Amino acid sequence: MSRWFRRSQKNGSLLALPTALWLLVFFVLPLVIVLVVSLMSRGRGGVAQMPLTLQHYERTFGIFSIILWRSIGLAGLTTIVCLLVGYPLAFFISTRRRRIVQQITLFLVILPFWTNFLIRTYAWRILLGDEGTINGILRALGIISEPLQLLNTQFAVLVGLVYGFLPFMVLPIFASVERFNFRYVDAAQDLGANETRAFLRVVLPLTMPGLLAGCALVFIPSVGAFVTPDLLGGARGLMIGNLINNQFGGSGNMPLGSALSIVMMGVVMLSLLVYVFGNRRQTGA
Amino acid sequence: MSSFDVELIDIVKDFESGGSRLRAVDHINVQIADGEFFALLGPSGCGKTTTLRLIAGFEQPTAGRVLIRGRAMEGIPAYHRPVNTVFQDYALFPHLTVEQNIMFGLQMEGLEKKEAQKRALESLEQVRLPGVGRRRPHQLSGGQQQRVALARALVKQPAVLLLDEPLGALDLKLRKNMQVELKALQRDVGITFVYVTHDQEEAITMADRIAVMNNGEMLQVGSPKEIYERPGTRFVADFIGETNFVDGTLLERDEEGFGTVKLMNDAVIRAQLSDTLASTGGPVLVAIRPERISICRADAGPAGPGTTSLAARLVDSQYIGTDTRFTLQIGETIELVARVQNIDDLPKAAFPVGQAVTANWSETSTTILDH
Repeated sequence: MSRWFRRSQKNGSLLALPTALWLLVFFVLPLVIVLVVSLMSRGRGGVAQMPLTLQHYERTFGIFSIILWRSIGLAGLTTIVCLLVGYPLAFFISTRRRRIVQQITLFLVILPFWTNFLIRTYAWRILLGDEGTINGILRALGIISEPLQLLNTQFAVLVGLVYGFLPFMVLPIFASVERFNFRYVDAAQDLGANETRAFLRVVLPLTMPGLLAGCALVFIPSVGAFVTPDLLGGARGLMIGNLINNQFGGSGNMPLGSALSIVMMGVVMLSLLVYVFGNRRQTGA
Repeated sequence: MSSFDVELIDIVKDFESGGSRLRAVDHINVQIADGEFFALLGPSGCGKTTTLRLIAGFEQPTAGRVLIRGRAMEGIPAYHRPVNTVFQDYALFPHLTVEQNIMFGLQMEGLEKKEAQKRALESLEQVRLPGVGRRRPHQLSGGQQQRVALARALVKQPAVLLLDEPLGALDLKLRKNMQVELKALQRDVGITFVYVTHDQEEAITMADRIAVMNNGEMLQVGSPKEIYERPGTRFVADFIGETNFVDGTLLERDEEGFGTVKLMNDAVIRAQLSDTLASTGGPVLVAIRPERISICRADAGPAGPGTTSLAARLVDSQYIGTDTRFTLQIGETIELVARVQNIDDLPKAAFPVGQAVTANWSETSTTILDH
C-alpha cells in the first residue's frame, strides 16, 4: 500500500483523484442514467418505467427531426454570422497602436456580461416587438405602415444568439491575432503575394486555432440554447433545447427528453471532433 | 538607361506618432551598382532598416524617389518589386514546411508545383542545406533557419537582395563562418546585396562599399578602406574601430591635402585633412588609430621625415591576446591608446609602466576632422 502510494506520488496520478471522483459522480453517472432512461418507456406523469424501447429515438429522428435540423441550422448560421462580424472586430482590436484604445474596445466586448443574460434577452423583445423600438422608428420615418413581424421568428432567435455569443468568438480570435507576427505579412508580400493572397495563405492559417476555438465556443452553446428561442422565437423559433426543457415538467416525457439530450450531445461531440481534427491539420501534428 | 540597381534620390521619411514627427531618414542620396555588396552601417535607430524597407516597398518615402534598375518605384507595391528580403527574425512561415516556404514565392509567380518543388530543392542545395525540405522551421537551428530564409529569397532571383541584420541572432563563431559563406554566395550568384548591420566588423569584412548612417543621415559612403582610413567625421571615426581623438587648433592647410595643427600641449604636428573638412582654421580634432602608433625608447634617436614623434610616458599596459594596449600620457592633458601586436615577447617586457618613451606615427595615418 505504502509503496503504491509512493509510486503514484512520484508520477502524480493521485493529484487527479479529486477530479476523477467528481467527474464520476456528477458526470459519468448522470450520463449513464440519462442513457438508460432514454431507452425506457413513459409512465404516468412523464416518468420512466420498464420495458425498454427505442421509440423515443424514433420520434427524435422522426417528427422532431425538423426541430433538430432547425437547431443545427440556426446554430450554424449563428456561428457564421459571429465569425463574419467577430473576425474583423478581433483584428481591429488587436491591431490598435494605442494600448488604451485596445483596452476600451476589449472592455466594450465584455461589457454585456455585466448584466444578466435574461434581462438582456428581454431587452431584445422590446427592440423587436410589434410596438417595439425598431418598428417605431421605421414607422416614424414612413418606411413602413404596418409593423414588421420581427419578434417570434427564427430571425429574432438568430439576432439574439449572435448578440449573446459574439464575445465567445471575438476573444479567442483576438488572442490568436495578438500572437500573430505581422512580419509574416511583410514576408508574404515580399515574396509576391498581394493583400488577398497574403491573407489567405498566411494570416488565415496562422489565426485558424483561434477561429476554430471561437466557432466551437459559439456553435456548442447555440445548439442547446433554450432561453433565447423561448423569449424571442415563439412557436416558429422553437429549438431542441426548448423541446428538452418541456419534457422535464408536469406533463413532460422524461424518456423522450433523455433521448433528445443524448442526440444533442452527439451533435456537440461531432462538432468537437471537427474542431479537434481541424486543429490537428493546422498544427501539422 | 541607368547602370545602377538601386538609386535613392533625396529620400526623406517621417514617422508621425501622437502629433510628434520623427525623421527616420533625412535626405539620403545613394547609387548602388549592379552586383555590388553594399552595407548600411549604423547604430540602432539610425534609419538603416527604414531605408531598407523603403527599397523593399514596405514604407513609402515622405519625399524623394526610389529607383530600381532605373525604374521609379512610386506606387509600386512590395509584391511587384524585383527585390526580396531576408528578415532579421527570418519570418519563415511556421505553418509551412521548409520546402513550402521556399516554394511560396515561386507559386505566387504562377509557377507549377512540380517545377517550384524542383527549384526549391536546388535552392536548398545552393545554401548547403539539403534534406531538410520536409521539416518545419521551428525544428531547425538558428543557423539553418537563416539559410532557409536566404534560399527562400534567392530562389526568386531578385535584382536586389535586401538583408536586414541576417546574422544578428547567431553566435559569434557561426556568424564569422556565415560572413565568409554569404560573401562567397554573393560573388557566385552576382546579385546586388543591400546589407543592413550595426556590426562594423561585419560591414568591413563583407561589403564592397559601406554607407555609415546616424540620425537618419548618410554620413559617409565609401569602400571599407576609405571609411576606416579616411573617416569624414568624428562619428564615423568613432563608430568604426577604435580611435584616439586629440583636440587642437588648425593653423594652416596646404595644397597637398595636409594641415598643421597645434595640439593642447603646444606640440605642432602635420596630418592629413579629411575630404569633407570645413574648417579653415580654429578648433579641430585629430584622429589617430591606436595600431598606427608605434612606441620606441626615448633615446632611440630622431624619426624620419613624414613621421610625427612625441615624447610620452607609459601609464598603463594591458595584455589582450593578439595585442598589447598601451596607454600613453603626452604632456599634461593628452592621453593616447596604442596597440602593438604581440609578435614576440618584446612589447610588454621592453616597456615597463612609468617609462619615458617616444610615440611615433606617420602623417598619412592621422586625419584632421571638424570639431
